[in-house]
Amino acid sequence: MNRFLTRLVSVREIPVLLALFIVLVVTGIANPQFVSASGAQDIFLGVAVIATLSVGMTFVITMRHIDLSVGSTAGFTAYMIGKMSAHHHGLVTSLLVALGIGLIVGAANGFLVAYLRLPSLVVTLASLWIVRGVFDQIAGGDTVTDNQVPVALGYLGRHSFANIPYIFIIAFVLILVASFFMRSVRPARDLYAMGSNPPASELAGIPVARRTFFAFLASGAVSGLGGAILLARFHSADSNSGLGLELNVIAACVVGGVAIAGGVGTPYGALIGALLLQSITQALGALGVSQFWQLAVNGTLLISAISLDRYLTLRVKPTRILRVKS
Amino acid sequence: MKRVTFNWDKGILVFLVLTTIVGSFVTPYFANASNFSFVIQDIGEFMLMAIPMTFLIISGEIDLSIGSSLCLSSAALGYSFRHGIPFWLCIIIALLVGLACGLINGILVTKFGLQSLAVTIGTLALYRGLCFVLLGNQPVNQMPLSYTNLGSNSIPHTFLPYVTILIVIFGAIGWTTLHYTRLGRWTFAVGINVEAAKFSGIPVARLKLALFAMTGLMAGVAGIVYTFRFASASPDGATGYELSVIASVLFGGVSIAGGVGTMWGVLAAVLELGVIRSVLQLTNVSANTLLVVSGGLLLLSVAIPRAIELSRNRRKLVSSDSKS
Repeated sequence: MNRFLTRLVSVREIPVLLALFIVLVVTGIANPQFVSASGAQDIFLGVAVIATLSVGMTFVITMRHIDLSVGSTAGFTAYMIGKMSAHHHGLVTSLLVALGIGLIVGAANGFLVAYLRLPSLVVTLASLWIVRGVFDQIAGGDTVTDNQVPVALGYLGRHSFANIPYIFIIAFVLILVASFFMRSVRPARDLYAMGSNPPASELAGIPVARRTFFAFLASGAVSGLGGAILLARFHSADSNSGLGLELNVIAACVVGGVAIAGGVGTPYGALIGALLLQSITQALGALGVSQFWQLAVNGTLLISAISLDRYLTLRVKPTRILRVKS
Repeated sequence: MKRVTFNWDKGILVFLVLTTIVGSFVTPYFANASNFSFVIQDIGEFMLMAIPMTFLIISGEIDLSIGSSLCLSSAALGYSFRHGIPFWLCIIIALLVGLACGLINGILVTKFGLQSLAVTIGTLALYRGLCFVLLGNQPVNQMPLSYTNLGSNSIPHTFLPYVTILIVIFGAIGWTTLHYTRLGRWTFAVGINVEAAKFSGIPVARLKLALFAMTGLMAGVAGIVYTFRFASASPDGATGYELSVIASVLFGGVSIAGGVGTMWGVLAAVLELGVIRSVLQLTNVSANTLLVVSGGLLLLSVAIPRAIELSRNRRKLVSSDSKS
């Protein structure tokens, strides 16, 4: 029994899931409307974009890197999809262009990080600005309006299947697939080895550079297509789309147990993290707390999540203490 | 043959001179006193924040919350002014708030053993959120002119804005501390190898705590400069400054992996970015190009040293092969 408990606690997603449950229950008691179908719908809708982007981010963070360029890329492709459909290109063409943009950004990041061994924080910070600059140059003050959004995307953004918005379902499927890969497919599993001990994984014969490259490529592709979700969600796009989104995505990952130090975490953990952050935001509204507190509460939550994680790692796996703390 | 060592921070100095020369040729509005004054005013806060950030990154840590800390101390200034506290006291409160922001980051990193990147993403949101809690949606205006004039006027009989005084003082302190004192040597030692530093008796935790606290305090100073310059405190000020500050530090030749960097490289880099911005603005190039240029420069600042290193290693490898 005790061993079972220890194992259960060591599943990193459990505390987050517990926190999510508490938030939902407490808010539900205080304001019954919160746990209604429309309340759930709001949360799912709010979480779809971040959940989608967190898939790529989980790959990247797991191998102890970071990708700051996802917000710029998603915003850019959201705008491009809208603009192309306004010029009567088909949805498939627009999506392919979006995917292409994402792949280009991802390949550039991946090449610089994997083969030139440049620090990913610097590289993706640079590509955040470069993509945003190009995006601003192309978009200018122009806005993709509601009627320019491709019909199919508009439909997906507005309608639900059994009260679950379609765009959340898409994100969810993506997360399931990614979770399967990270659990059972070797190239994706290698990311854990690379994140927990880079030199050892190199010695163990993992093609570290190639894996790194493809992880960044995947992150680029996901954020390219994430633009479609972004457009479907907001029914509009302009040069400010996706601004600062990267930090929200990273926050969702970190809250969901994808440690910045690499080597641990799952895509579904990141989804739970995103759900927790979003439900707290919504819960504050339902509880009548001023909207000005939302950001502060989210920040506090993020800090508590990593503190709790640190505490649990020290408690549950005593061997870890032997590591020099810094 | 004596090898000429190339350092990025030397390169940036050359680059700064080149940009200045090119700038004065392409636009007649660039090389004059009033524009120079404008450039300094424009980079004032970045200079002030880049100095402690240099220490922090050299020691192997990072502070993403610096823009929010700036805004929070500015918001604290505005909030206490709005509630009728004498203005000089408001300034002290703002500085204390900045210091507290840094201390909180430092305690979370050193006492709790958390990753600074993750912690400061959290405090980035937290401090920004507190700005909104303090000020709501209303910016605070109508601050006493005798103070806010310091933000917009120049020192009498010169073209230099008042912030120059702060930049010179703190720049000098930062420079000497980093390169000529024990504290500076410790900072490098910790950045190169934490464990070795610990075993050689350096109080690593206390040093890092102090560096975080200094960063917060300087964000407070920058917050006051920022408030004076715009003569208002608003909850959404200085958004995204953290990335600009970090970028200019890296652009100045500081390695994100820690242990490498010079203060003058960073100061030159901040100035260089200000000069480039000014030249681009005066030649009517759009702000978007500036983003692309900054990003490109940032990439070059890591890619060029790496390329040189790689080619050297290859040469070394070849020569050692031929020996054996």
